[in-house]
Amino acid sequence: MSNADVIKKFVIDEFLPDVSASELAADYDLLADGVIDSLGLLKLIAWVEDHFQLAVHDTDLDPNNFRSVAAIDTFVAEHQNEKVAGS
Amino acid sequence: MTTSFRESFLAQVSRRPGAPALVWHGEVTTYGQLYELADKARARLEWLDLKDGEPVGLLAKKSPEAVALVLGAFLAGRRFLLPSPALANSSLTSLFAQASCRHVVVPEGVEEFVPDADADRTVVLATDVDSVHFMLTTSGSTGLPKIVPLPQRGIDKFVEWAGTQFDIRPGRTVLNYAPLNFDLCLLDVWTTLAHGGQVVLVDADYAANGRYLLDLVVKHEVNVIQAVPMFFGLLLDVARPDEERLSSVDRVMFTGDAIPDRTLAELPRLFPNARLHNIYGCTETNDSFMHDLAVGETPPVSIGKPLPGVHTLVLSEDGTVLDGPGTGELYVSTPFQAAGYLDRTRHTDKFVPHPTGQDSRPWFRSGDLVRREADGRVFLIGRSDFQVKVRGVAINTAEVEHVLQEHPAVVEAAVVAVPDPIAGKKLVAAVYRAPDSKLNSLTLRQHCARRLPQAAIPSTLTIVDTPLPKTSTGKVDRNQVESLKK
Repeated sequence: MSNADVIKKFVIDEFLPDVSASELAADYDLLADGVIDSLGLLKLIAWVEDHFQLAVHDTDLDPNNFRSVAAIDTFVAEHQNEKVAGS
Repeated sequence: MTTSFRESFLAQVSRRPGAPALVWHGEVTTYGQLYELADKARARLEWLDLKDGEPVGLLAKKSPEAVALVLGAFLAGRRFLLPSPALANSSLTSLFAQASCRHVVVPEGVEEFVPDADADRTVVLATDVDSVHFMLTTSGSTGLPKIVPLPQRGIDKFVEWAGTQFDIRPGRTVLNYAPLNFDLCLLDVWTTLAHGGQVVLVDADYAANGRYLLDLVVKHEVNVIQAVPMFFGLLLDVARPDEERLSSVDRVMFTGDAIPDRTLAELPRLFPNARLHNIYGCTETNDSFMHDLAVGETPPVSIGKPLPGVHTLVLSEDGTVLDGPGTGELYVSTPFQAAGYLDRTRHTDKFVPHPTGQDSRPWFRSGDLVRREADGRVFLIGRSDFQVKVRGVAINTAEVEHVLQEHPAVVEAAVVAVPDPIAGKKLVAAVYRAPDSKLNSLTLRQHCARRLPQAAIPSTLTIVDTPLPKTSTGKVDRNQVESLKK
């Protein structure tokens, strides 16, 4: 599975158990209508850190980084690159 | 005589232009800089070519520019409606229309407000608003929030009282947790700016991040904190007991909701130097009760006794005013209260005369059930209707059910509030969908988001294909809603 698929699966399992993967668009705004609320956001960030082995710094906590499956995917890709470049 | 808020703020600007007024993400805005920003905002408002007495809409998500925008309206002598930016666009459009705000102004650099073309734009005839600047809204979800014009004299009296009571003055730092449109800001933002203190603004986008909140309090050596109980729960979740103590804080006020026992028990250790206060109030009347907690006090915590100048009564179920101890609905009359809602047709059951005609004071019916002890202390029991509080926002669960039922594919809907260790309460909804409908929680959420404030969108939406469980009288059994969750 691509990162985007893994992220979508987590979001669905955790927050939208009755929705299928094809029903959730990659650019769907998860924050606007409370699919993920502020506490859910913390859970999501913890999962991103753990699953992709990234450190999400305070400066990255901008909710826009986690607004949609696509946004999370971009965020993960950028930080994985950083890790490769830095290692 | 009480000094006006505007004069007090301007006095601080001229006496101490270099003193810090706001802190936002580590950046300080001095009183002088804040005045300059406010003056620019005033000029923007004056360019709008408003008529005499015409109010202006302010859509101000918290930032130094947003604070300056409100101050700019004060400098321009304008009345303004300050609703929650988290409201649905259609609600905002209707509220601005009701208040006759032709212009909606946003802080500089923020996207302009675009009204919802389909929203109801009925205008409400405003009376008694001559001395009003602040028009706030109730936080309830019962249809459209109600607009509450607050007489400036009442706010000035409150600012004077709160400054003395909580020792807010130059050199003191106050944390502002609530969004800018909340009545709580009358204390943490506006009282502080009138008395020359420094306000540390919490960014709403990080308001659930305990680590961020703890860092703010430590880094800026905050002295005074007023917040909903959830805030203290978030701090306690991340603070290492025995290591992290917030010793700069000497005043802690919790308000807006009942404080969980566990949170209360741990507060003295986190704030070893602080006096703890439980404050009771609402947008319509501002604060009316306060309780100073004794050292080692255990739950349940009372809301204490009425503030100076506040009159209260408890009306029992049989319609008599309780003389001594007992249980009933709380009525208050405060020196800070509004004369009524902007829409006078909506307040007949809230702004009322004395229930048995014993005096001619304007009374406010709180909707809260209370128990009064023989010693005069008052304890909150709950709401007398379907109201619950989610993160400090009053939500009417019957209204959320009504919104769900408006969706064409919904046959039955039930909403209950269940205890949540962090949010205090959260909403759980169960929906019986029409046979063969493809309704899922995503579609239903979008439906809710267009009609309800964010806090009223249920955290959990369970959709089922069988009728909801019923009580023996045929009503939906709300006690079983939570067990439907898979």
